[in-house]
Amino acid sequence: MHGGSLVRTVRLVSGLILMAFVTCHLANLAIGMQSLAEMEAWREVLTAPWTRSKPVFFLLATAALVHATLGLYAIASRRSLALSTTDVVQLVLGLFTPPLLIAHVIALYMSIRVSPGFADSYGQIQAVYWSFAPSYAFLQLFVVVVVWMHAAIGLYSWLVLKPVWRRIGGFVLPVLFAVPILALLGFAQSGQEVLNRLAADPAWRAAILENVGNIAKATRELGNLQSNAILTWAGLVAVAFGILAARILRARMMPVQVDYDGGIRAMGRHGLSVLEISLLNDVPHAHVCSGRGRCGTCRVRVEAGAPSLSAIDEQERSTLERVGAAGGERLACQARVLGAGVAVTRLLPAFADATAAQAPDEWSAGAAKETA
Amino acid sequence: MVRRRREGNGVNEQSMAEWSAVVLATAKARFVALGADLAQAPTEAQRAYESVYAALMTGTGVRAATYIAILLFVGIAVEWLYWMYAYSPLRAAMAMPMLTPAAALRVGLRRLFLSLSGLLLFTAAAIGVSAAFAWPPHVHELIIAATLLLLVLRLSWISVSVIIAPGRPRLRLRLVPVAQPQARWLAAALMAALALLALGRFLPPVLQDGVAQASHVASALRFIAYSLAMLILFVSAFAFFGGRDVRADVPRAPLFPRSFPLALLVAAVYAVWLMNDRAAAVAAIAAVVIALQIGLRPIVYFYWREDDGALPAIVLSLSRFVVALVGIGAAAVALDTPLATLAEDVGPWVRVGLRLLGVAVLALLAHGVWIAIRSVVDQRLKRIGPIDPHEPPDASSRLLTLLPLLRVTAAVMLLVMLVLCALWALGIEITPLLAGAGVLGIALGFGAQALVRDVIAGIFFLADDAFRVGEYIEGSGNTKGTVERITLRSVALRHHNGPLHFVPYGALGSVRNTSRDWVIDKFNLPLPIEVESETIRKMLKKIGEDMKADPVLGPMTMEPLKGKLYRIDPGVKIFRCKFRCPPGKQFDLRAGALKRIEAALKKMDVQFADGRQTILLQNPA
Repeated sequence: MHGGSLVRTVRLVSGLILMAFVTCHLANLAIGMQSLAEMEAWREVLTAPWTRSKPVFFLLATAALVHATLGLYAIASRRSLALSTTDVVQLVLGLFTPPLLIAHVIALYMSIRVSPGFADSYGQIQAVYWSFAPSYAFLQLFVVVVVWMHAAIGLYSWLVLKPVWRRIGGFVLPVLFAVPILALLGFAQSGQEVLNRLAADPAWRAAILENVGNIAKATRELGNLQSNAILTWAGLVAVAFGILAARILRARMMPVQVDYDGGIRAMGRHGLSVLEISLLNDVPHAHVCSGRGRCGTCRVRVEAGAPSLSAIDEQERSTLERVGAAGGERLACQARVLGAGVAVTRLLPAFADATAAQAPDEWSAGAAKETA
Repeated sequence: MVRRRREGNGVNEQSMAEWSAVVLATAKARFVALGADLAQAPTEAQRAYESVYAALMTGTGVRAATYIAILLFVGIAVEWLYWMYAYSPLRAAMAMPMLTPAAALRVGLRRLFLSLSGLLLFTAAAIGVSAAFAWPPHVHELIIAATLLLLVLRLSWISVSVIIAPGRPRLRLRLVPVAQPQARWLAAALMAALALLALGRFLPPVLQDGVAQASHVASALRFIAYSLAMLILFVSAFAFFGGRDVRADVPRAPLFPRSFPLALLVAAVYAVWLMNDRAAAVAAIAAVVIALQIGLRPIVYFYWREDDGALPAIVLSLSRFVVALVGIGAAAVALDTPLATLAEDVGPWVRVGLRLLGVAVLALLAHGVWIAIRSVVDQRLKRIGPIDPHEPPDASSRLLTLLPLLRVTAAVMLLVMLVLCALWALGIEITPLLAGAGVLGIALGFGAQALVRDVIAGIFFLADDAFRVGEYIEGSGNTKGTVERITLRSVALRHHNGPLHFVPYGALGSVRNTSRDWVIDKFNLPLPIEVESETIRKMLKKIGEDMKADPVLGPMTMEPLKGKLYRIDPGVKIFRCKFRCPPGKQFDLRAGALKRIEAALKKMDVQFADGRQTILLQNPA
């Protein structure tokens, strides 16, 4: 699993790039609370650089492509459906994101292509959303909720494990929710402004109407393009889940067994990690980062059967080092059971939270005291 | 008088007939209206959809949707912040070892509290922020209805997941006796029914009043949602409660299956709803109360299966009481009847009914207190067990005398208080009764002075622990014997010759209890004057040591036999012997000691002092 940590890092970085873009975009919308003109002015600073400059645009497009692909790869390379509620929410939101974004981006791109007079200015787009084709506006609202929640969960579950979260957490979390709320307020405010201008400025209205007429002619082509893209995505998702199902079915025939402290015994499939076996069997087991190998809260002391566990990879080694683990300790989320069975002792209480990742010393001391 | 009553009956019969005619007519009208609603619903739904869509696809619609998205973000943000702190306690609660259902109940309550707090924060934040926006017409009602719908749905899910806990069977979080494969289906059925009920409750008003103006659709939707919910509940009653008791390991006589009354309840509520909307709420509440009353016993005994004490009985009667009270309160809320005015404005029958309800509440309370006292007393008595007359009486024999006394006293007091309170609650003036009782009490009091003195004295004897059942006591006035029975007024003493004295405590006077801790027995040993006192002392000491080592006498001996020269009379040396032993053993010990002394003296060739005295007559001659 040497590729695992690299894949995760790439996925994280691409996600962060995308999130930076979305944040700029939403911040720009939020300025709409001031006025439409301000919004246009700030556009040059906040949104335009992402699309005008070729390398940046290339980076953004690559990040989107990579993030989506790696997301599917993550599904396909899962070994079980042992997921926390947060993970399920993030996964579902993530699956919804590409089709929604495709609709948004393709619509905009096509509009500019078929109607060269349609400058991609906020005024014109807002006029379309608020007056001529409100169904697009509903789509946009949905996109904002879905994309931002997906991003927020991702950013939070990455940052909360860092020691630095203790200092910046109180600042980051409000910002995390203020951004979309302010953006939506700006959206509503500037929409009202556009509606007022449409009523007061017939020339502007006529110009937009002409563009809208042009775009309407291309609606069919647009629809085809969108449905093709969405179908492709659906096919890819189906393939990813198919691979997951095939793996689960194939491994079903090879049962393994894990013995825990406290005389608990659980059965699982060959190739599952110890943590996955815990979760599938309702064995209380701390896992703050949901099995990404980052937090170290799931670590166990291997009492017997160490050779039947998968080898320690780079990510696990660094996490174990960071939390100050002793020899013979493993991360339950990374150690996969490949032999007949193992016996492990859970080292942290099941209710360990993110502080156990931020300051592992405090929790290790507590756990040591408990065992003593 | 007779005539009037007959008239009254006639009026009642007539009004009864009228009433049923009215009910049937209303029901018929409702059915006709419902049929019309169902027939017109599809076309109206088409129209309503178009008008709603048209209203939505404007700037106003977009603004409303934007605000909804903001509400969603605010609600999620607040709840997110909450769960940042609450998630660890939740996990900690769920990771506790759930060895007994009672432990699971505690954990369940904690889960309920944590989840409910999060839900409340979400709802409060969303509704609170919604007040800050200027909504387009009709939208704010829609938002509040949607938030309430969400609240009810999440509330249902929290309750179902805490009580039935369909997932994670190995954590043993379940609070009701339901087997695993059934639990998932039961949870799904309940959730579906609750969701349908919530939908039928919150959506139709919005459809009726808002942009849609679709009253037929609203009515049809309500009908379909409620019917489906009732169907689900009806089927669930048979699917989940038709089988045998979950505790199949306990052989039990076959009972009337619970599924029938439950299904009947569902059907009855549905029938009432078909006829009358307002009555349906009350009927539903009554049905839930009855269903809970049916289900309470197995649920309560699910928690206290191991205890055979009266605790489950108390819990059961208390929870029955609470369920009934909550049901009455809910019914009052459903009828929009302020309880305060209820007592004033309504006819005499309702008033009587309310008062009877008050009496029932009092009776239930008294019953609960009585069960509590009785169970405590009975459990103590059971633990003490019957007194063994051959054993020395210990502290428990006092409890054995006091506890039944306490039980009877408590019963009498509770009964008297209950009767007085019930009379008072029924509106019967009890002051004259109390005054009369007071006068009578004074009269009786003079007559029963001795009786009162006996009772009070008895309480203090018992409080002082002066005697217990099985002890030998002597009172003043030559009353002595073994305590056989202690009653409220007197103590029964069995004299060692057989007669039984009944001594009132007042006449007992100072008590000499000879059965406490230890006794010292002393006896004299007259020997001829020639014996050497030191030899005898050593011999007695030796006998004492022998007796201490004896397997029968040894355990009785607390301080072994000793003896020493006590007095010298003319021709006689009197040795005084003594030993200490538990009460009642002195006779056996003394007999043993004398036997050994006699044998030892014979061996030493020493005679007991004979009574002969040598009188030397001086010859006057």
